[in-house]
Amino acid sequence: MTAGDAQGIEAVLLANRDRLVRFLEARGAGDAAEDVFQELWMKLATHPTGPVGQPLSYLYRAANNLMLDRYRSLRQAALRDHAWADPDGAQDRDDAAIAQSPVTSVERTLIAREELARADAAVTALGPRAATCFRRFRLDGISQKAIAAELGISLSTVESDLRKAYGALVELRRQIDAV
Amino acid sequence: MDQSRPTPDAQAIDWVIRQRDPAFDDWDAFTLWLEADTRHAEAYDVAAVADADAADLPAQPVARAVARPSRRIWLAGGAAAAAALVGIVGYGAVDRSPDLVRVATAAGERRTLTLADGSSIALNGDTRIAIDRDRPRFAALEQGEAMFRVVHDPADPFTVTVGGATVVDVGTVFDIVREAGSTRVAVSEGAVVYNPDAQNAHVAAGRQLQADDADATPRITAIVPALVGGWRTGQLVYDGAPLSTVVADIRRGTGTRITLASGLADRPFRGALLTGGDKGRIAGELAALTGLRATRRQDEWHLTRGGP
Repeated sequence: MTAGDAQGIEAVLLANRDRLVRFLEARGAGDAAEDVFQELWMKLATHPTGPVGQPLSYLYRAANNLMLDRYRSLRQAALRDHAWADPDGAQDRDDAAIAQSPVTSVERTLIAREELARADAAVTALGPRAATCFRRFRLDGISQKAIAAELGISLSTVESDLRKAYGALVELRRQIDAV
Repeated sequence: MDQSRPTPDAQAIDWVIRQRDPAFDDWDAFTLWLEADTRHAEAYDVAAVADADAADLPAQPVARAVARPSRRIWLAGGAAAAAALVGIVGYGAVDRSPDLVRVATAAGERRTLTLADGSSIALNGDTRIAIDRDRPRFAALEQGEAMFRVVHDPADPFTVTVGGATVVDVGTVFDIVREAGSTRVAVSEGAVVYNPDAQNAHVAAGRQLQADDADATPRITAIVPALVGGWRTGQLVYDGAPLSTVVADIRRGTGTRITLASGLADRPFRGALLTGGDKGRIAGELAALTGLRATRRQDEWHLTRGGP
């Protein structure tokens, strides 16, 4: 793995190693930043990309996504440990069996579906204008400016509606995680 | 950000909102913000997860009123879909020649273009489209799938060229697939006219036109309008589509290659798949829903008859 072998996006990755490692550290990887950087390298090597318009920005996004992946799996593991340690849940059952049984995919499906319904309700509860702003922005990928023009409202109203909607979803996430 | 010292959560939300713009490139400032306070990374994680999970929300609350056959199996939403989204995602290549802007996405990648008039084009994976800066009401779909949400102007209709044909909008929302010598146009709102100078076929909301290059007469069938463009939220829903179409959609939307044993291409499929989750899973779920057997061959999956 030397700079001489690398082409395209991998060359950009190597040339910006220090910046990306610094980003990963700040993003929460801490001491593991170098490991995550290696993981990023491996992902790029095993999942070749097509031509990329802004390679450095693409790499930051990929690094950012990788960190989000890590965060999710750590959180899942923490929730699982929490469930196993729950004495009430374990009372009438064989502790070892519970510890070995992974959360089934059916349960995960149900949980995900319920969380989605709660998120949908939280967005809907903001009222039609804010909910529409959010859905157009997040689901349809429409720019804030275009949403403002479409709904005949100011850009700052769109901005504040989006903040409200994201605020409600973050609040919900925190409630779910706190369980 | 305003003067009233927003909380880490509020600041994190602002970053997430800014980063939804594919052109976002202020990563240095983002790094500095993360370094400024140890709480920032955690706040950002929570906001980013909330944002990723929101991809699975129904497009409009009204969409839930649409009858979904109970036999359909809805696979794990939030977490699984987001796991796919947070993999290596790209923002495609943008090739700028003087007037023509050509945008391409890789398989498994999605992207939305917003045009000057407020119209938007959502691109599925493995798609190539050209737009002309001198002709804001025009796009050329060269390959793949795109969902058009067009600001309608009767005096200046929006026109899409695809596979040698022309599609002219008479309304607002439609999805076009161009693949393997065949074009499909599905309309969810308003209407379009296919090849006004030749077949002049009017396709209304709730209808899909399929035109094969080898056959001059396009076919029009009924569809469920609310499901048009479901791929944008990671949902693929079928009511009797041939398996060859299903595996082509999966490849475009996720990058997962699935091949079919001979005789299976035309077999009709009814059911729903989510394109989230890890790549191998969708092949397994498709096998489970069809009663076929999925085996892995290096980078691709092969579906054959025969039990598990």
